[in-house]
Amino acid sequence: MTKLQLSDVAAAPVPTLAHSDAPPAPPARRRRWLPFSPWHLVLIPLTFLLIVPLLWMLVTSLETEGEANRFPPVLLPERPRFENYSEAWAAAPFGHFFLNSALVTLVVLLSNLVVCSLAGYAFARIRFLGRGALFVTLMATLMVPFQVTMIPVFLIVKWFGDNVWAGLGIDHIGALMLPNLATAFGIFFLRQFFQTVPVELEEAARVDGTSRLGVLFKIVLPLSLPALSTLAALTVLTSWNDFLWPLIVITSHDQMTIPLGLSYFQGAHRVKWPLLMAANVMSLLPMLLVFVGAQRYFVQSVASTGLKG
Amino acid sequence: MIRRRLCIALVAVLALVLTACGGGGSSPSGPTEIAVWHGYQDTEGEVFKGLIDQYNKDHPDVKVSELYSSNDLVLQKVLTAVRGGSAPDVAYMFGSWSPNIAKIPQIVDMASQVSNPDWKWDDFYPAEREAATVGDKIVGVPALVDNLAIVYNKKLFADAGIAPPSPTWTWDDFRAAAAKLTDPSKGQYGWLIPADGSEDTVWHYVPMLWEAGGDILSPDNQHAVFNSEAGVKALTTLQQMAVNDKSLYLDTTNENGPKLMNSGKVAMLVTGPWDLSQLSDIEYGVQVMPTFAGSGGTHQTISGPDNWVVFNNGDKKKQAAIDFVKWLTAPEQVKAFSLGTGDLPTRISVGQDQTVVDKMDENLPGSKVFVENLSNVKKVRPTVEQYPAISEALGQAIVSVMLGKDQPADALNAAAKAADEALAGK
Amino acid sequence: MPEDAPARRPFVVLRGLGRGESVTGWALVSPAVVLIGVFGLLPVLMSLQLSFQKSDLLTPETPWVGLENYRKLADDPVFVEAIKHTIIYTALFVPGTMLVGLFVAAALNRSVRFISVYRTAAYITMAVSTISQGIIFLWLTDRDYGLVNAALNAVGAPSQPFLASPSQALYVIVAMTIWGWTGFSVIVYLAALQGVPAELHEAAAIDGASAATRFRTITVPLLGPANLFLVVWLTINALQLFDEVYATTRGGPLRATTVIVYYLWDRAFVQFDAGYAAAMAYALFVVILVITAVQFRLARKHVHTS
Repeated sequence: MTKLQLSDVAAAPVPTLAHSDAPPAPPARRRRWLPFSPWHLVLIPLTFLLIVPLLWMLVTSLETEGEANRFPPVLLPERPRFENYSEAWAAAPFGHFFLNSALVTLVVLLSNLVVCSLAGYAFARIRFLGRGALFVTLMATLMVPFQVTMIPVFLIVKWFGDNVWAGLGIDHIGALMLPNLATAFGIFFLRQFFQTVPVELEEAARVDGTSRLGVLFKIVLPLSLPALSTLAALTVLTSWNDFLWPLIVITSHDQMTIPLGLSYFQGAHRVKWPLLMAANVMSLLPMLLVFVGAQRYFVQSVASTGLKG
Repeated sequence: MIRRRLCIALVAVLALVLTACGGGGSSPSGPTEIAVWHGYQDTEGEVFKGLIDQYNKDHPDVKVSELYSSNDLVLQKVLTAVRGGSAPDVAYMFGSWSPNIAKIPQIVDMASQVSNPDWKWDDFYPAEREAATVGDKIVGVPALVDNLAIVYNKKLFADAGIAPPSPTWTWDDFRAAAAKLTDPSKGQYGWLIPADGSEDTVWHYVPMLWEAGGDILSPDNQHAVFNSEAGVKALTTLQQMAVNDKSLYLDTTNENGPKLMNSGKVAMLVTGPWDLSQLSDIEYGVQVMPTFAGSGGTHQTISGPDNWVVFNNGDKKKQAAIDFVKWLTAPEQVKAFSLGTGDLPTRISVGQDQTVVDKMDENLPGSKVFVENLSNVKKVRPTVEQYPAISEALGQAIVSVMLGKDQPADALNAAAKAADEALAGK
Repeated sequence: MPEDAPARRPFVVLRGLGRGESVTGWALVSPAVVLIGVFGLLPVLMSLQLSFQKSDLLTPETPWVGLENYRKLADDPVFVEAIKHTIIYTALFVPGTMLVGLFVAAALNRSVRFISVYRTAAYITMAVSTISQGIIFLWLTDRDYGLVNAALNAVGAPSQPFLASPSQALYVIVAMTIWGWTGFSVIVYLAALQGVPAELHEAAAIDGASAATRFRTITVPLLGPANLFLVVWLTINALQLFDEVYATTRGGPLRATTVIVYYLWDRAFVQFDAGYAAAMAYALFVVILVITAVQFRLARKHVHTS
């Protein structure tokens, strides 16, 4: 077998194309009727349908309370009330909540990426004793609703706080991180995507003497950037928006995260919609930034071709 | 290589984070710290925090801290906290939970405390005292009281040329007015009721049941009696308005009542004082509940009192918590809270203080009627631990009749059977 | 590409490392096993214990009742209804979300200008809380004031009660949740579509295959792992539907949208019968486990024969 390196693949005389389903049409036949791609005509209405809730959030965030308390809802406020944003920010220590949310999310993200990559690769490519049974057992943790397991989780986290380090226990943000440092979801997701990496590339490297870890880091991960960045985006989303667990665990204001802060606007009999939506919009912005940043990695930059040995 | 860097980064961040996490702890000597969990925000929140600040200032040996936790979710939080050994010292809990939380051993039985005359226990409205009493135990001290009355849109009545609700109204009058005020072409309805089958729905039906002369359970709380003639009569009234006249809008979200009212789409709402502040765009009036013709006219209404519940976290904290609650619910603070927030006074002495009532009515028109309506609260819902099951059965029955899927007698009989099974402990 | 390949494949020389592989394998999975074991499995087992007790979460006495809770479950008509609703919901939601997601992802998988804007829009929809989604759908489908009925009336159709109707509510929830999950489906498919080599498309295009044919015969089969992932994950979630029901119909009207997890939450936190709720969760767990195992098995067979 010839020695095949990743550099050979990259240097191979195969055009590196951005992956799209539209093949380059023979130049002579393509004619543009519109000054822009016709796909925009599909994408714009589609996107509009998808973002209707966000538009409603934006509109409500600029209304007065009176306007927000109408049914059917007011679609255009008389005057956009930008003060809602500063008022919402001032209503609770959101700066602190942002910091807490960001720290928790960052730690959970890094931990998941590392731990789930290792495990996902093992499940995808390594035949080890008990692999099947272990995978099923881990998946089982996804099949019992949190409403049922939350009290045992609470007790376990409390034990950590009492016996290991207070920073990990009840009423500390460490407790928000601990149960989420790895999820079977992440492992399952990466396992599926790692399986799409051409196994011949890995075999070639292993024949060369690269260890499993080396294969993972030098071959599989670089080729899985879309999957990794997708998992990152999803993990950030779940962690940022987690409400029920922080509600149960946190009682001190300085340990609260954003979703708990948002519940300030939801009273027993009345919800302050404009302020709630303003705060919601503000809390979406970091996730938006994360996603825009991760966009770069969504497109595969190295051609992965189906090479024969 | 990347992995090592990632590892180091992870550990560094963790270390940074966990050292930055401070937790509150109380020093062994120093003020006793007690934690109060409540659902107040907005005006109520400000006034409440003001009261706490005042208490802390006047009592340097105690430090009261408060935590906002939405009332709907506080039960899950409290249950988990109690199981985990980190219960608060005082918590605001819905009165309907009383029979169940009475079973938590950590809850302080206030019976021995409130028998002390300086608590002036009898100054609390009877309904509140009953809602806090489960058998021999008193699980909490009244924190809130309210009641249901008719809130109506003056302009819609004037436009239709109907006299607004009066103290002599019967349910027939109510029904007739609702029918006249319903105009499908304008999307306008005479009345709106929360129709999701939850306790919200049930407690709109219950005052009608009581007014008709019926009861939910037998005096010994052993079986359901709401399927009596009175019960059927009350439910039939609802059926006639919902199914025949179509003047009753069924709100399955339980949220749209005040919104629709505020938009002028609904002429009447049977609701409590908490909705008044949302009706900023209309001119509204408040009136007592109607009677049934020939029933003696007691205008019975229903109240949903909630309680401050004290938890036992050790003698020192327990005593500090009890003292705080005693101060919080004393007539002077009740007066200050009611005047500041518009919430109805929990104490009779404050409720009968004309200056207080007038001032409240000035701040929030209609408050006066609600305060006076407190004397129309003659009965309370049974404080049995199976009440949630009874409520569920009754709620489903009411909704199915209002949707036109069932007849009152059949629905109530089925619900009574389910309630009896729950009471028998099945 | 099946990882458990038959011995005929060229890399048989590497199979000699078989036993050593177990050590490596377990070493790589150990961090995950520890974390998930402690915070995922242990609670699951502790809750199993709860299902054999009578508990209201309030009193410390939790008498052992053995299989009593499970027996009650078998006789519970509401539970049977909940099962029915959950099955109907899952059967519609899973394929629905996958199809819509695939369609949108295919549309987004091109390099027109501003494509990242469209993709960001798809992603950010997942950030909208279920509460907000609930409010919007309640409004859109309102019988008297909703946009959908306004549109229906404009074309002469009568207004529908939608979420207020026992016969329609569940289907509206299906539509609402498909809407809410499309973003997720799109993101997963987008990541998968990146792995489809453009050369295959070119070759087929030169041979004269149309875009649709190429999509069907080249792209779709290569989406195998992504499809499996979505089918499994969406099914697991659909069978545990709760948030959206809580945010809109609260299980009504007249229990039409009562699904299993909603019913068990009601039993635990409204009716204070936590042991019974745990039993329900375990019955559900077994079902999910079986269904997932079947899905994996079918996928393996399918991959082998393609």
